Amino acid sequence: MKNFVLSSLTAFIFSSVLWVIWSFFTVQSGVIPNWVGSLIYLPHAARVLMIVYFGWRSIPGLYLAELWGPYFIAEEAYNVPLLMTSLISVLSVPAALYSLKFFGFPLGTTRQSPLNKRNYQHIGLITMISSFFNALLVNFCLSQMHVNFEPKTGMFVEADINQVLRFFIGDMLGVLLVFVLLAIFLKPVLSKS
Amino acid sequence: MNKFYENISDALNMLYGLEKDLNIGHLTPNELKVFYTIIIGSADSSGRSNITEIVEKSGMSRSTVYKTLKKLSLEGVIQLTQSEEDGRESLVILNPVHN
Repeated sequence: MKNFVLSSLTAFIFSSVLWVIWSFFTVQSGVIPNWVGSLIYLPHAARVLMIVYFGWRSIPGLYLAELWGPYFIAEEAYNVPLLMTSLISVLSVPAALYSLKFFGFPLGTTRQSPLNKRNYQHIGLITMISSFFNALLVNFCLSQMHVNFEPKTGMFVEADINQVLRFFIGDMLGVLLVFVLLAIFLKPVLSKS
Repeated sequence: MNKFYENISDALNMLYGLEKDLNIGHLTPNELKVFYTIIIGSADSSGRSNITEIVEKSGMSRSTVYKTLKKLSLEGVIQLTQSEEDGRESLVILNPVHN
């Protein structure tokens, strides 16, 4: 129980911090235009890192973190379909892990493991597959429930392939940026460990 | 609780591998800052940047920048050549990465 609370709380804080940083530079300050911001979506790094290393225990924390930020900024925009898309985003990582396991690549911690969680290249593969699931399923869901808002026209439209690609690339670049920054900032810890 | 630390250790191991392959483990924070300034400068000016610009953009002293450039040059990360337009200026060129 203690491990569950600790993992979920860590996931919540980590994901929230990434979301606040991302939101500050894209939505709040306007330093980075919105469409560029979605090309580097940092919070996907929290989903990947936490679910790969802490497992299902981190899912409640991640889900809550996905909800509170956007809700805080745009309370009126929140409804049931958006609660679902947040859940799909969080579950895209377990979906990637289960798909890999299905094809004979279960997650392990040794060099012999087909999918080694200590190898960043394997984490890259999980990131790529989870980004693909996230981009495809979230946009499908948004389109089917007619909640995909197009700011230019002010109307709800079906998601196009550009948006799917933007989600896919955005998640991957966000993870890459967070991992490289973590590797740099944690340099003293890494060299000791 | 032990499981929690074990998970953190696995994550740190993964990041350590990334740091090792990026070859940034041995650089000090100041040297890293100079290195990133070179990368950003090179992206803006098709692979070349001059030392004066690097000093200005990095906010580091001229001597720190020179020491770092010498270190990076000895490691084969960059190449230092004289500018054809201005003989007094040295250009910093990033070497291609070979795996």
